[in-house]
Amino acid sequence: MSVLCGYPGFRVLTGVLSVVLLLSCGAGCRRAPTDDGGKKVIRVWSHQGQEAENRAMRGIAKAFNQAHAERGLRVDLSFFPDFQYAEKLAIAAAARDLPDAFELDGPAVARLVDAGLLAQLDAYFDRAERDDFLPTIIAQGTVDGKLYALGAFDSAVVLYYDRDLLAKAGVKPSTDDEGWTWDEFVQACERLQAAGIEPLAMHMDDSADEWFTYAFSPVVWSGGGHLIASDAPRVRGVLASKENLRSLRAWQDVFTRKFAATDPVDPNPFGNGKVAMDWTGHWMARAHLEKKGDRLGAMRLPRMGEKPVAPCGSWCWGVSTQAGDPELAALWVRWVTDAKTGVEPLVRANGAVPARRSAFAAFPEYSENPYRLFREQLETTARPRPRTPFYATLTGRFAAALRDIARGADVEARLKQAEDEVQSVIDRRVGGGKIKREEKEAAEQEGRP
Amino acid sequence: MTVWQRARGRSAPWFLLPALALLAVFVVWPLLRAGWWSFTNADLLSPERSQGVGLANYADLAGDGRFRRAFGNTWLFALLVVPLQTVGAFFLALWVNRPEPAWRWLRAVFFVPVVVAMPVLAVLWTLLYQPAQGGEMGPVNAALAVFGVPPQAWLRDPTLALPAIAFMSIWQGVGLQMMVFLAGLQGVSKELLDAARIDGAGAWQRVWNVVIPAMRNTIIFVVTVTTILAFRIFVQPYLMTRGGPGNSTLSLIQSVYEMTFISQDLGRACAAAMAFLLLVGGLTWLQRRLLKEERE
Repeated sequence: MSVLCGYPGFRVLTGVLSVVLLLSCGAGCRRAPTDDGGKKVIRVWSHQGQEAENRAMRGIAKAFNQAHAERGLRVDLSFFPDFQYAEKLAIAAAARDLPDAFELDGPAVARLVDAGLLAQLDAYFDRAERDDFLPTIIAQGTVDGKLYALGAFDSAVVLYYDRDLLAKAGVKPSTDDEGWTWDEFVQACERLQAAGIEPLAMHMDDSADEWFTYAFSPVVWSGGGHLIASDAPRVRGVLASKENLRSLRAWQDVFTRKFAATDPVDPNPFGNGKVAMDWTGHWMARAHLEKKGDRLGAMRLPRMGEKPVAPCGSWCWGVSTQAGDPELAALWVRWVTDAKTGVEPLVRANGAVPARRSAFAAFPEYSENPYRLFREQLETTARPRPRTPFYATLTGRFAAALRDIARGADVEARLKQAEDEVQSVIDRRVGGGKIKREEKEAAEQEGRP
Repeated sequence: MTVWQRARGRSAPWFLLPALALLAVFVVWPLLRAGWWSFTNADLLSPERSQGVGLANYADLAGDGRFRRAFGNTWLFALLVVPLQTVGAFFLALWVNRPEPAWRWLRAVFFVPVVVAMPVLAVLWTLLYQPAQGGEMGPVNAALAVFGVPPQAWLRDPTLALPAIAFMSIWQGVGLQMMVFLAGLQGVSKELLDAARIDGAGAWQRVWNVVIPAMRNTIIFVVTVTTILAFRIFVQPYLMTRGGPGNSTLSLIQSVYEMTFISQDLGRACAAAMAFLLLVGGLTWLQRRLLKEERE
């Protein structure tokens, strides 16, 4: 065996070390706008969605290039698969190799702003333009009152139901626009179960952590709870609060009483006619409508407390602070979030909810449910996931807790564990890391001790 | 020393240079850099703004319950896998070590899981381990039910999840070690075995007194490689349980990955990676000290 094989840890660490290697670029890598035969090139990164969406994105870039050919301007668009997109961005950021403009997931905005990597967009969108975006899109891209990211589309989760199956069990769907209370929801499940119909699909087999935080945070919020304190990076006493224990115990009952499967084998039991209700997103609307036609109904998610809360958020666009010319990069962000040049082609391709009010006219389906409800809840009851630099840790630990809770873990112990794990990450950074340093610098500038 | 030998001595470094340069760029330099960062509070997104924190990252890891859990899980996994897989592979090799074509097929069958991509196997075994739900049972539970074993939630039970993953990993990896043992078996002298048989040694005695001593180097190699592979456990638990339930299947590599890309705490991730390097490197060194290879 060679000397190297004697120390095989070398190979084990390939992953981490390659990150380290990539970071070795150091300062001085800031890019000027690339010159390509007299043409200015805007480097742009997008997540790789389904092929129709990618095609739409390429079409948008092509149209941009045609429209700006006279100015000698061109976008260079690259796609990266969404399961490694966050890693790709992190490595590029560390190596000072971020593209001029890039797509990012809504909850990641705060972290990139905290690291000083996103440029402000306020200057590039006037008041009227900003008012044309859904409030959730503005909220998702805003940190400390400043706008850093805007998207072309948003998302929605509703409770789809099969009218025939509900009728068979004598269950009446909610008639008002508020949806069911949690008790009404549980009663409906009981009746369906008694009638021999499997009540509900919750998609617990979803491999992505984000589904859990995204789809079930409304349970916590509508019960009066929070995932993280709003005034400080603190989850202790917040994640395992009395309200959250109550809400998530009630949520756990859905699984312990077998209203929904914790380990479903069929990814689409509602579409296949096996369950009566489906707790899922806008992305299933087309398929469900095709399968069920008039039998398909949709209502808001059941609420734990007084007021219903809906989830929201999706991919959005930001301009890098490393961009050679932020103004040119912002030109692309304006183009891809414009109702005509960006929103319409993208929404036609991926079926998401248009991010701009002026774009809805092009989508007549939004006069009826489930689409009407998507827009309605984004305008009124939707709440973005916490905008904190610690979101990635928070969602990972919270999602793991939800998985375990659904499978019968003790709610209080499991939430406390998540609380401890997230808080220790926060304390480490706030204690010895960047944030404390900046506070110290600010204090020194103000002449405080 | 002949002229040729002297010339060879002088030119040797030049032949080594390309390899050494690649090693320096892709191994030594990143390693030094990672070592350096492990003593800082570097943030993945802005590493140039880091400050020295001494040994704080290491001390912090030692006191971190989640990291310690990952450490313990990885050890437990290795302790389950290394002996079982080595012994299993050895006896499989003895069993299929026959010249007839039918046995060649059997060898291929045992080797198939080594060739199939791990993510595919992880999904497959997740389905096999499916707990009983709504009257349906996963194949593993259905098979055990024949023997009167009540159905288990294999991957959902904190005490069963890690052993279940270890079993699947042994099944997946045993074919490779079996092949190495098979190659080693070809080197066992036929004359010695025949002599032992003539002297009246039974099957067990022949294995214990002839085959195993003759295969000493092969066994050492297999144990060393299996140990290294076992400590690198990541894909199976990451895809099958995400490190849960609780943190019962959290691996060291997953925790380093999470420090790097989820909490983006580069300094701490580098410290964890260095600790991991020392652990595996140290273990390998120890094994090679204790189990000296025989050289001719």
